Parts: sequence; C-alpha cells; structure tokens
Amino acid sequence: MKKDINIDVHHLTRVEGHGNIVVNVKNGTIEKCEWQVPEAPRFFEAMVRGRHYTEVQRITSRICGICSIGHTLAAVKAVEDACGIQITKQTEKLRRIIKHAENFDSHVLHIGVLVAPDLLGAPSVFPLVETHGEVVKIVLRLKRLGHEWGSLLAGRSTHPTTCVPGGFSKLPTKEDLISLKEKILAHVNDINALVEVVSSLASKIPAFDRPTEYMAVSNDIEYGMYAGNTVQTIMPDGTKQMYDVHDYKSITNEFMDPKSTSKWCKNKMDSYAAGALARFNNNYDQLYPQAKKIAEALGMKPVTCNPFLNSAAQLVECAHSVYETLDLIDELIAEGIKEESVVKPTKFGQGTSAVDVPRGILFHDYTFDNDGFCISGNCIIPTGQNHANIQKDFEALVPVLLEQNKTEEEMELALSMLVRAYDPCISCSTHYLKVKFVR
Amino acid sequence: MKLNYMIGIGNYSMFDDSIALKLVEHICENNLDNNFQAVDLSGNSMNLLTYLNESTGRILLVDTADMDMAPGEFKTFVPEDVRSEKELSNITSHEGDILKVLALAKKTGHYIPDILIMGIQPEIIKPEFGLSETLLKKFNSYVEKILSIMNS
Repeated sequence: MKKDINIDVHHLTRVEGHGNIVVNVKNGTIEKCEWQVPEAPRFFEAMVRGRHYTEVQRITSRICGICSIGHTLAAVKAVEDACGIQITKQTEKLRRIIKHAENFDSHVLHIGVLVAPDLLGAPSVFPLVETHGEVVKIVLRLKRLGHEWGSLLAGRSTHPTTCVPGGFSKLPTKEDLISLKEKILAHVNDINALVEVVSSLASKIPAFDRPTEYMAVSNDIEYGMYAGNTVQTIMPDGTKQMYDVHDYKSITNEFMDPKSTSKWCKNKMDSYAAGALARFNNNYDQLYPQAKKIAEALGMKPVTCNPFLNSAAQLVECAHSVYETLDLIDELIAEGIKEESVVKPTKFGQGTSAVDVPRGILFHDYTFDNDGFCISGNCIIPTGQNHANIQKDFEALVPVLLEQNKTEEEMELALSMLVRAYDPCISCSTHYLKVKFVR
Repeated sequence: MKLNYMIGIGNYSMFDDSIALKLVEHICENNLDNNFQAVDLSGNSMNLLTYLNESTGRILLVDTADMDMAPGEFKTFVPEDVRSEKELSNITSHEGDILKVLALAKKTGHYIPDILIMGIQPEIIKPEFGLSETLLKKFNSYVEKILSIMNS
C-alpha cells in the first residue's frame, strides 16, 4: 500500500544528548530519511592547549560523565606515548580493571534503564518498577557495584583522580582488592538473573541484518579494551585487518555531513560501527567462556550484523568484565601490590592512543613542546564514529519497515530503538535542575 | 557512626554548571570537610544511589538550578518542595535530573536519608571551563552556607 509517513522525533529520548529522527514518505516513496545531530561543539581540544602533560587527563576526563575513566586512560596512554613513558605490568593490570568497571557500569545502566523499557513495552524505567520491580532492583544493585568497582581503584569512578601519566598516584591495598573481589562475587547471582531476563526478551529484539565494517581495539593481550596500540576492522565476510593506532586519521577519515554538527567517520565502506558489537565481532575468541556461553544462548556469533544486538553484546561483555577482573585481582594479589613511583618522561613529542569505551573507540592524540606543555590535541569519540553507520542503518531499515506495512508509530519506535541500541552519547549535556516550587 | 555527605552535581566543562564541583574541590583542598565527606558526583546522577543507605546520616545536594531567581542567588529546599520542570529524556546515565533519580530510589525501596538541596541560580552556561563573575563573587557565601548546614 502506498502511504504517507511523517516521523519527526525532535530530541530522541533515552539517549545521551540531542539527536533527531526525520523520515518523510510520500505516496510510498521515501523523500527524507535522516539521523540529525544538532549538538554544539565543545572545543575540548582547545582547552588542553597550553596545559602541562600532567594535567591533560584531568581535563579530557571531563568530556564525559560516563566514559570519564576511558577518556582518562586514553589521555594518559597518549601522553605516555608522547613522553616515552613505559608503564609497569602492575599499572597495566590495574588500568584494565578500572576499564572493566566503566564498561560494566555503563552497560548495566544502558541495558536496564534505557533499553529494557523498549523490550518490556514501557515508556521509561519508572513504570517498570510496578511491573518488573525486581528486575529494576537488580539493575540498580549492579549499577552500584560498577560505581564502587571503579571508585575503589580510580579514586572515584566519575572523573578519576588516581590514574596519572606513568602510573597511579595512589595504589590499592591487598585488602582493597580482596574487598572488591568479594563484592563482585556477591553480585554474580544478580548478573546471572539479568542474563536470564534479557535472554527471555531476546525474541523482542528486531531481526534486521545490515552488513557493515566493524572497528575495535584489538591485540594479543586481552579482549580489546585498554591494552596495546592497534585497532582492527572486520568486514562482513570475516576478513580482518590490523592498523597501528598512529594511523588513526587514515582509518577514521572524519568528514562533515550537512545533517550533523558532529564529524562523521568512515573507513573502507561508507560507514563503520564501533562499540560492543564491533568488539564482539573483532575479538570474540578472547572472550571468557562464561561470556561466550551467554552469546551462544542469545544466538550470537561473529560476524553478527544486527545493530539491535549491540545491547546483547554489552551483556556478553558484562560477564567478560566480571570474570577477567576476578582473574586480574587474583594475579595482583599473588604477585603482591608493589609500591611503584610514577614513571617520568624520557622525551616530549607527539603521542596517540586508542581505548575502547562502552560506546566504541576513543582516539586521543597530543603534541607537547620541549617543556611538556601541550601544543595540540585531537579526540575522536565513538558516537561520532557511529553517526554515519546509524544513517546507513536508517536507509536500509525504512524500506524494510514500509515493506512490512508498519504504522507510523511502529516505524518511529523501531528507528528510536535502533538509535538507542548504539547507546549514543551525543554530548554530555548540562545537568542543572529546572524546578517550580509547589509549596 | 553515620556519615554525612555534601554532594556536588554538575558539568565541570559547562561554566556555571560547574559551581557545585568547584565548591567540592575548594572544601576538600582546604580540609573543610572534617565531619562530613564532600563528593564530586559530576553528571553521573545515578551514582547517588550508592549513598542512599542506612549508613548515611544526611545529604546536602548542591546543584545549579533554574529557579527564576537572580543569577548567583541560592536557595535550600527539600525534594518535596519542588517539581522538576526540566524536559528530560526520562532518566539517562549522564543527562541527569537528581530529582528523578530520587523518585526512582523511593519507588524501588531505597533507604532515603535526610536530604536537603542547595540550588544555585546560574548566570552563564556554555562549553568552557570557569565561572561567571557573578558566581565567583558569591563563592565564599556558598562555602559558608554549606559549612553552616553540614556543621549544624
């Protein structure tokens, strides 16, 4: 049936920041189909200029309230690359643990508060308290675990203080690590319960495959999140290619699109995806067995090309983060926490890093003068990398929805769910209250 | 013994929206938090849940607030005194509305200690580090008010 559709979602709900969905169909013909990003730029690269190398991570961590550990780690890695600093194995292990804390914290909240309402037919998490109260409580308990997990090692999980170029300004004690291990183990039942809930709702995740290129941090050390200096892409046919992080500009290829105030990215195809599904597709073999088991239960294996399953990949990663952290804690306890001084620079120059945060790869790049002051900075964030892919998903999904004779409301929901699946962090908005006194 | 908290909420890189975080910084750097703990919650308002338990005595939440007052003015109130008028995408992980987080905490049976909110009317919110002259001039009065509440 040839029909007219007019979708104009101004300020999509349950995503971070401001994004619009506009679809116009006239007499069955698609006239407009756009993912628009009207957020203002925030100029962080300008803010780091003139700052000392020891200050950069404290500034860039303020880019995001959720990925502030990731921005901190990306900044210290790039600074260390620029300053010829070699960190110790102990520092690397501790950083990997706090990276897991951030991913776990963010993923739990995304799955439980932002995605679950769609799968359970509710407009927000609030009605779910009445209908699925225990599920909401589990999510909030796990969210608290994520916060405490990061805070214990990073000083605080939002805008961490202890992670500095060359190491840590304050190290955890053996007792801290034992306490963290006990806390995590005490929540394993909650994690299993969340897996069961999501598995029971898997049939409500739309079936929609659109093969694309997937990009993620990848290395021999771990399921790519923090370590190493390489990123990898996997194509829909399973072909992989590894890149040195210093070549990041040639694989991100930032460009402007009239629909967006944010830069978009592409590599070999018209767009690529970053985030949990991209990591899953690139690094599946390095997942812990417990995580692979969840993937199998959800029917996922690489290369999974359904963008709606990004949220499911996040759940898989939650399990991976739990079990790898437990192993890292055991290793640190067995080796004994050593008092280590912060490693000092051996030079000042240019450095680059890539760290995979909840929503995808963060690239940081800084250049310092001979006195260690920043001359230039460049940060490429994951959501910017995903914009073009969301647009390409729209262009593929709208004709499918029209073919399925979906109503305007059903199409709007499907497109909103698609964007939410990417867990986009369009900006870190301001947080001020707007209140009216009622008494 | 129960712990009391002064919790600052805001975005450090959005000018006046950072006032509460700078107050936390000032209080910590000057060791003014002798009988309470000052916490920078930033924009991750859901992390407030961590402090909503029976080991918490009371919480002073400090945040910028559009209250139709003159820039720099502040007011203290309890959550029940106000209704949030902020248009939000419900509740998200870092586009926060602390009032909605409190509502969710109540609905899910969290222990709610005594909570007081200190709202500060911002003058300029823009993507830049710093504070407006108006808020800077009143900075010490905010510190005094916080300490008088926390030490009472």
